[in-house]
Amino acid sequence: MSNPPGTSPIKVLLVDDEPAIRRALRDTLNELGFSTTETSRGEEALLIAQTKAFDVVLLDINMPGIGGMKTLLRLRALAPSVPILMLTVRDDEEDKIQALEGGADDYITKPFSLRECVARIRSAVRRARTPERAEDAPLSIGEIQVLPARRLVSKSGQPVHLTRKEYDILYYLMTHAGRAVTYGKLLTAVWGSEYHKELDYLRTFVRQLRKKIEDDPSNPKYLLTDAYVGYRFAENPFASDATLEPSSLRRTE
Amino acid sequence: MLCAFIHEATQFNPHGHPGAQLADLARRIFQVEAAAIFDADLHEVYRSGEWFDDVKEVLQNICLFGTATDDRETGLIRRVLQMGKLPIGAMLLRGETSVIVANSIASIIAITFDRYHAFANESRTENARQAEQLRTTVLDSLAHAYKTPLTVIEAASSGLAAMGGLTPTQAGLVSLVDEQAKQLSQLTSRLLTTARLEASDLIPKIEAVAIAPLIDDVMASLREQLSGFSVRVVLPNDDVALCCDRSLLVALLTQYLDNAGKYADFGTTIMIQVVEESNAIVFSVRSIGSTIPAGDYERIFDRYYRSSASASIAAGTGVGLSIAKRAAQAHGGNVWVASDAKEGTTFYASLPRLPKGVASP
Repeated sequence: MSNPPGTSPIKVLLVDDEPAIRRALRDTLNELGFSTTETSRGEEALLIAQTKAFDVVLLDINMPGIGGMKTLLRLRALAPSVPILMLTVRDDEEDKIQALEGGADDYITKPFSLRECVARIRSAVRRARTPERAEDAPLSIGEIQVLPARRLVSKSGQPVHLTRKEYDILYYLMTHAGRAVTYGKLLTAVWGSEYHKELDYLRTFVRQLRKKIEDDPSNPKYLLTDAYVGYRFAENPFASDATLEPSSLRRTE
Repeated sequence: MLCAFIHEATQFNPHGHPGAQLADLARRIFQVEAAAIFDADLHEVYRSGEWFDDVKEVLQNICLFGTATDDRETGLIRRVLQMGKLPIGAMLLRGETSVIVANSIASIIAITFDRYHAFANESRTENARQAEQLRTTVLDSLAHAYKTPLTVIEAASSGLAAMGGLTPTQAGLVSLVDEQAKQLSQLTSRLLTTARLEASDLIPKIEAVAIAPLIDDVMASLREQLSGFSVRVVLPNDDVALCCDRSLLVALLTQYLDNAGKYADFGTTIMIQVVEESNAIVFSVRSIGSTIPAGDYERIFDRYYRSSASASIAAGTGVGLSIAKRAAQAHGGNVWVASDAKEGTTFYASLPRLPKGVASP
């Protein structure tokens, strides 16, 4: 698969201590038109990142040496705008939260399908390349429109009345669409850092918000729960293929 | 003499049983013909010098009936070893010594025994803790060891599919590899969860848990498995909460929902219901699909048991529902199932509002 004419390949820095995982990712990503550089150590990743620019970093969280978390923090300082996607395993919710709050853009849970991995890489790169939007610029995702200048929300053209906090939550999530936002980050953004742990508070508001913007609040299409981590506003809620949500994956019978 | 006895008794290695050494010491220091000591806890007799065959029986009787007598004719001095009012053993000396000295010897032996048992308990607890830590470490590295090859297989097979250019047969085979790798990964996770729950003493970490968001999380984590169904959640109110172990409740509900996703007819509604009772909260997951024969209602929760009705429908190991049972039992709760063609299959779990071991405020 080649890149569209006039575009350069997406440059991926791949950091994982498992040679077989690196090989599988390297071979498939290269074949799909990405350009990859790989290393097994966080220390080396930092050295490479000092001399070479990347569009995205895939970083394993569990590695010997300085490990994934420290590498993340140092990479962030080194290259503040490069998207970093953490490779984690299930049951490591605490790690995922720490990574997201430490500046990671997203996480991919092992084992993952390549399609999901590629979709997340593309989405992170697209977000990073999108010029910063003006704070007051209108937002539109699926049927939901927001006019920040007037704090107005509508769904399919019909006005939706939100309370101040409901609006703040929606606005924050929509301006971070496609990204996992931890409970702590959202609480801090909307209520302030002293509310960092008031999970039940947040959940009550999210439940109300879902009732107002979702067709079926118990089966949300926009405001998704990222199990045990936080929320994620769907970037493309009605995409039929290659979306980021696991629900779009084929059901195996 | 008493001081020498105390001094030497306190020098014993606390990790070895002091019985034999105390018997020798008493005999040597107080110059009695023979000494015998009984540890009721271990049911052991430690002797020094010549003793008759049934000395153990005599010592047991002293301990049992509290006989503390000095017999001038036979020269036998009998004492109960006590900690507070609790008899913990008995002492028998043959020789001459005053009542007060005999009482003191008995007290010192009792204290030494008590000290030994305290040490032994402590190291038992420490050993159990270390064993538990080892188990967790082994399981974690096992999980890691399995996850790596599975990740590689899945990345490679899905990568091949993504590259395209495969013949339909090749594509079919690649998707088979992909599908089976996914299944193996799920089985691994489940077996590891069970192994963790099998840990000898499963002590729930009790905290106040808000139920509605927890169900949200469980549903979100099973989005893929539940994608072909509509899921309805019925709660008594949005704020329903329970004092329980969050991760165990997650394991339980994940199991019930995952099970429903496997056995329900495609496109039907799966209903999660939470009902508040006076002393308990009852969770249930109802699905419409294959039913469970009444004869399997109990056994289906046993480890490795798979209902004849289920074996032909979906892949499984027969460990899943045993996780749910163990999670409920750890709270002092219970699980059961009801199933018929008309009403569907409903799995229940009742968890007490005040789990065992938690005092009411």
